[in-house]
Formats: sequence, structure tokens, C-alpha cells
Amino acid sequence: MFCGALFTTGLRAQHPQPWNAPARFARPDLDSDEGGLWALMDRQERRLRRSPFVIRDHSLNNYVQDIACRLGGKHCPDIRVHLVRTPLFNASMAPNGMMQVWTGLMLRMENEAQLAAVLGHEIAHYLERHTLERLRDIKSASAFATFVGLFGAAGAIGQLATLAATFGFSRDQERAADRIGVLLMRKAGYDPAEAAKVWGNLLAESKARPDGGGASTLPMFATHPGAEERNETLATLAAEQPGGTTNATTWRERVRPFRSDWLREEIKLGQYEESVSLFTRMIESTPRDAELLAARGEVHRRHGGDRQFDLAVADFRAAEQIGHEPPEVHRGLGMIYRRRGASREARASLKHYLELAPQAPDAPMIRSYLEELGQ
Amino acid sequence: MRQLTMILSMLALAGCVAMAKVEKGERAIGDRLAVKIEGAWNQLDGPELGPAQTWTMEGLPIDQLLLYSGVKDGDLVHASGGDGKRKDFAFKANMQADEIVGMFEGMLTRDGSSFKLTRLEPSSFGGLSGFHFEYTLIRKVDNVVLTGVGWGAVSKGELFAMLYMAPRLAFFARHAADVERIAMSAKIRQSAQ
Repeated sequence: MFCGALFTTGLRAQHPQPWNAPARFARPDLDSDEGGLWALMDRQERRLRRSPFVIRDHSLNNYVQDIACRLGGKHCPDIRVHLVRTPLFNASMAPNGMMQVWTGLMLRMENEAQLAAVLGHEIAHYLERHTLERLRDIKSASAFATFVGLFGAAGAIGQLATLAATFGFSRDQERAADRIGVLLMRKAGYDPAEAAKVWGNLLAESKARPDGGGASTLPMFATHPGAEERNETLATLAAEQPGGTTNATTWRERVRPFRSDWLREEIKLGQYEESVSLFTRMIESTPRDAELLAARGEVHRRHGGDRQFDLAVADFRAAEQIGHEPPEVHRGLGMIYRRRGASREARASLKHYLELAPQAPDAPMIRSYLEELGQ
Repeated sequence: MRQLTMILSMLALAGCVAMAKVEKGERAIGDRLAVKIEGAWNQLDGPELGPAQTWTMEGLPIDQLLLYSGVKDGDLVHASGGDGKRKDFAFKANMQADEIVGMFEGMLTRDGSSFKLTRLEPSSFGGLSGFHFEYTLIRKVDNVVLTGVGWGAVSKGELFAMLYMAPRLAFFARHAADVERIAMSAKIRQSAQ
């Protein structure tokens, strides 16, 4: 296999082999293994279209689809991006052209070029027909006999197709997709240096965990090459021909209307260290963003503990000073003050919260706290 | 893969989950919680269940009633914790109502499901001052929209709670009144006997 060979013989970053995108794929014969795989993915895509987890906003969908089209070139009509509301870092590509991008990944992107790096990587899997390759690898392995025993011959193909399509690509395939993804980025005018930053950021987040990232919850870490290796490889590839756009301002403007929901979903995960690491990175990039400060403050508050409460109060107060802070800033402050027995401050903050969000689901509970705190 | 996992999990569950009838009348849940039920329920027991008692009227995964009795500080509120792959959710004795609801929210969304709190208000539970909450859960595995309701109270640093959830269409409404009567019947003893 072209890409496997490229990496098994070393990176050869200074003298990359040429790569040309294949012609558009015709729908394979339904009787073939590839046709069966496409049919299976078509069914999954029909289910996905009906899923309440899919983001249906046309503006955002068109924006991301356009980025995919810039990268996919002549394959644009065959690639369909679906944005899925799941607060983890993940994206996947099916052999029929269905791509899924999770909102946890969108939240972590700093600019358009970083998203292009991920989309380019996924499109590379599609162009190289990696899923089909994976299916054939599994079929030729001895494990196939086990599947035949379990599901019968026809059922086994279906199960293996599912396994091949969704369980993951080989590490060599991932390395190849990285390389082609960088080529696609460059061709579309994006700065390929942003690809390495995606993994660098993810690595920093993973290392923030108490176990240092040993048991990462990030699905993409399960099959992909080590983040350090990937970071280095992508940086080397980018250095071959530096330059290009990041479109950071456009990115921020286009995702801004959705970011509050994504931040809330991240907070709910309850992964204290990773969320603090993520929000701190985002705050370093835009220090006067009240929503980000509020989000980090809420993560500290939910974790609990004196030190975390101090950090939460500091973030909430900073958000308040900047202005246009979310109402939850005042609820957070009120709850901390209430717990600390600072009745006057608790009362003021909780009242402020109710003024800003009188219809909040927890308003009845907050009113009961105010009664308990007295006037 | 998800389909395969589901099939295997269901097969495993089919072999491992025991079901027993819970007759009407007053029923003890652990040492300190008792509820009165007016009709029979089904209680499930298995390695993937607990520490709550899991009851169902329609059968899993359609509806489930989770009954927590005396969850201590540091105890997980779900089974299968500690694998490091998914965040665990544990009760802390000093949690406030919104934090307890947040803990249940975390528990119910460990599989990627989506939770939306629709109401949180003060309420008595088991004769103690506690809270009542309502929520919507979109289950990741099958996209089914569930309506949920819960009650809770903390006594001597231990959590007592009851959660019920069922598909929004038909099933929740069918059992909501019974579930509320069960919640209203709850009694928490001050100490184990």
C-alpha cells in the first residue's frame, strides 16, 4: 500500500512522494463487499439524519460543508458532513462519503485551518478507501471464522463491515491520512502548521488528567498514533512548505452562536482537569471573554473544595467585570457564598441570577434559598 | 461496532439479569428507606445494575425506577465504575440539591446521552426537606426521548433518592401518577435498625 510503505520506510519529510487524488468513486456493485459496506453506511446515514443529536442549523452546516468541499475538490459532491452534538473530540468518515464531526471537536478548534486539518484527515481516509482495506484485512484474518460461527456467513460480513467501518483504522492508515490531509490543506490554502497544533492541544489536555492521560477518554486516541508522534510528524510535514491562512476571525464568528451550548456540554462531562486545561487555553487566546471565564469558574465550582471555590469566585468576578456575563455566573457566586455562610453576598448574587433568568429551570429552588437566607 | 456491542451486551444481560416480582404493599429499600406501592413492579438484579434498586413496569430499556437508599459520602451512584474510560460520579455528603442533580445528570449521560433539566424545586422526600426535579433525556443508543422525574433528600450525610424515566410518548404518562404516589409514600428512618 502506497501510504503504508511511505511510513514504514521512514517519514521522508524532505522528499515527499507525489500523491494525486483518485477520480470520483462510482457506487460499487451491491453484490461486492464494497457495495455491502456502502449499503450498511447508507442505512446508518439515514438513521443519523433523523437523530436528535444532529445539528440542523443550515448556516453552520453550510460553512463546514464548504470547508470540506475546498479540501475534497472534485469529490465535494460525494462528501456529506454531519455535525453531531456529542461533547467529545471525534470525527469519522464512512466509505460512502458520510462524515461525522462531534461538537466536542468543534469546541476545541481555534480556527478554520484546524478544522480543515481534521476534515482533510478524514477525507484522506475516504480517498484512500481505508475502510474497505480494513474490511478485507479483517476478512483475511483468522477471526473471520469466529464471526461466521457466531453470525453465519451473511451475518458475519455485516458484522465485520460494521467493525471495519466504525472500530477504527490501522495506525499506518492514520499516518497516511495525516500526510494526505496536510497536502489537501495546503492545496486549499490553509496553513498546515495548524494540524500539529490540534494534536498538541489535545495532548496537553490529556496530560492534565490525574493519570497523565494513560486512560484517556478521547475516542480518537484509541486507534491513532501517539499524539506526540503525530504532533512531530505533522509539524515536520508543515515545515516542508509553510504558509497559508487560518481564518481565525471567520471561525470565531461562525461558531460563536453555538459555543454556549458546547461549553455547557463540556462542563457537564465532569472531567475537571481536562476542562480546566481546555478553558484555560481558550482564555489565554481571548482573555476578555466573559463566557469562557464563566465556564471555567463553573467547572471549579462543580468540582468543589475551598481552593476551587476561590478560583471559581475569581473567574466569576472577572467575568462580571468584563460584562455581558451569563446569568449562571451569579448563581455560581450565590451558591458558593451560601455554602460559606456569607448570607448577604449569597442573597445579592442569587437575586441577581433570578433577575437575569427568572424562567430558569432551577428558579423555584433558588427562590427557596433566598427565603432561607432571609431578606 | 455499537450494534455488535449492544447485541453482545444484551445477550450477556439476558443471561445475567435476574427479575423478581415486587408485590404491592410497603417495601423496604435497604436499611433506612421504605416505600408503599399500590401495584406490583418488577425488580432487576445484575452486575451492571446498582447501587440503586432497579425496578421496571414495562421492562428495560423502556422504563426504569431507580431507588437509592443511604448512599454514603464517596460512593458511586452507578455500577461499572473505575475503568478510567468514562468519568465516574460519586455522592459527596456536602452536595447541594443542584450538585446532586448534576451528579445524576453525569451518571445518565455517561454513554453520550443528552440531559436537559426542566425543573428543580424544593420538595419533601421521605419526610425530610429535599428536592424534586424533572428532566428530558435523549438516549444516545437509540435516540429515544425520555421524560424523567426525581426526588431526593440527604439525611445524616447519606443520600436517599428516587428517579423514574420512560419514553415521553405514552409510557411516562402511563406510570407518572403511580411513581409520584410512591415518592410521596417514602419514609426515611433516622438510623438503621
